[in-house]
Amino acid sequence: MDEHFRAFSFVDRIHVIQPGVRIRGSYAIPSAITSFPASLVAEAVGQLAAWAAMAALDFKSRPVAGLAASIELLSPVHPGQVLELAADLETVDTEAVAYGGTAHVGGVPALRLQHCVGPMLPLAEFDDPQALRARFALLQDGGAVPGAFGGVPFFALDRTGGEAGQWLRATLHVPTSAPFFADHFPRRPVFPGALLMNSNLELAAALTAQLPPPATGGRWRLCGMADVKLRAFTPPGEMLEIEARLNQLSANAATVTVDTRKGNRVISGARVLLAPEERS
Amino acid sequence: MSNANISNEEIMAVFPKVAATMADALGCDVEKVKLDASLIDDLGAESIDFLDIVFRLERAFKVKLPRGKIVEEARGDLSESEFDQGGVVSDAGLARLRSFLNEVPADRFKSPLKMADIPRLFTTGTFCKMVIRQQRATTAAAAPPA
Repeated sequence: MDEHFRAFSFVDRIHVIQPGVRIRGSYAIPSAITSFPASLVAEAVGQLAAWAAMAALDFKSRPVAGLAASIELLSPVHPGQVLELAADLETVDTEAVAYGGTAHVGGVPALRLQHCVGPMLPLAEFDDPQALRARFALLQDGGAVPGAFGGVPFFALDRTGGEAGQWLRATLHVPTSAPFFADHFPRRPVFPGALLMNSNLELAAALTAQLPPPATGGRWRLCGMADVKLRAFTPPGEMLEIEARLNQLSANAATVTVDTRKGNRVISGARVLLAPEERS
Repeated sequence: MSNANISNEEIMAVFPKVAATMADALGCDVEKVKLDASLIDDLGAESIDFLDIVFRLERAFKVKLPRGKIVEEARGDLSESEFDQGGVVSDAGLARLRSFLNEVPADRFKSPLKMADIPRLFTTGTFCKMVIRQQRATTAAAAPPA
């Protein structure tokens, strides 16, 4: 099956668009998958913003993942729910798009992105401009058939070192082939930043489980990410090293920094923010 | 945009906030962000960091900073072909760069200088001046007509 616009596309409909300014859309999370992590909710907002940016530049350039100053994880989302997506563009030009956005479910905020920047690159290097134009038209005219996403692929994080409650290190083997590469992107397969972020969050969660509980009792909750930055593309087949390190711990707040390396080069970094889980 | 008469006092007035902003973007200690530090060679900045720094400075100083315009402004009334000769900065272009980027230590302007290597010259001071120029432009635009 042609996985283009299926394996890693998270906008089903565009409801409102002012190219280069604002865009509203939606995505129906398939019921049949087991989970839809926060990193993919963020990806959905980013993809919505990308449509507005590409339309503003007549599909000559497209943004790629760059940086996000703040990602607030407000409430979890579940298969079968519909994401109400919104993005507002601060600027867009041939160099970069700057935007913020939100995802809601049933009017309840699930995620908020602030101060995101995506470098703009020649679109034709990644995808067929005509195919994107056609898809853009479809999304505005009735929308795409939902349910194409097959679920988050499993990537083993092989632990290679650590000190309990202080740091953890693991390797991530990027597959040489996977359905999502055909959609991200057809002409230049790149390991999605959102899947890398998901693995980062998994390792951060593993380290978090080793921390002493917050002063209020209960458990820590991943409540956000800050200063997320992707420095380089990861092609298929790469081996990456991820390290999560406790950066700050107080009675009711903690921060874990997560870096990803390819060889000696840091290719991504982020701070994961922890807060006590709210107890009913 | 005028580069004229940007005083040391003006630079030092914005430097602490510029340095703190750059340190946040680069994830380094602010003490490392010296006025004459080269973003690329001393602070390890990559292209994504330049974007990050510019957008953070815009938020910190509430100005809109032109991106990718330093070479154009330095070039002044030289044509592109007079400035860029097959990917190498001409002698006249180098003189213009030295004048425009007068915050950069003179010994860093090596000849021949490739066009692609111009960003290696940029220092913290370069961004201080960028902020000051834009602050001046914003003030001038907001001033009532004479």
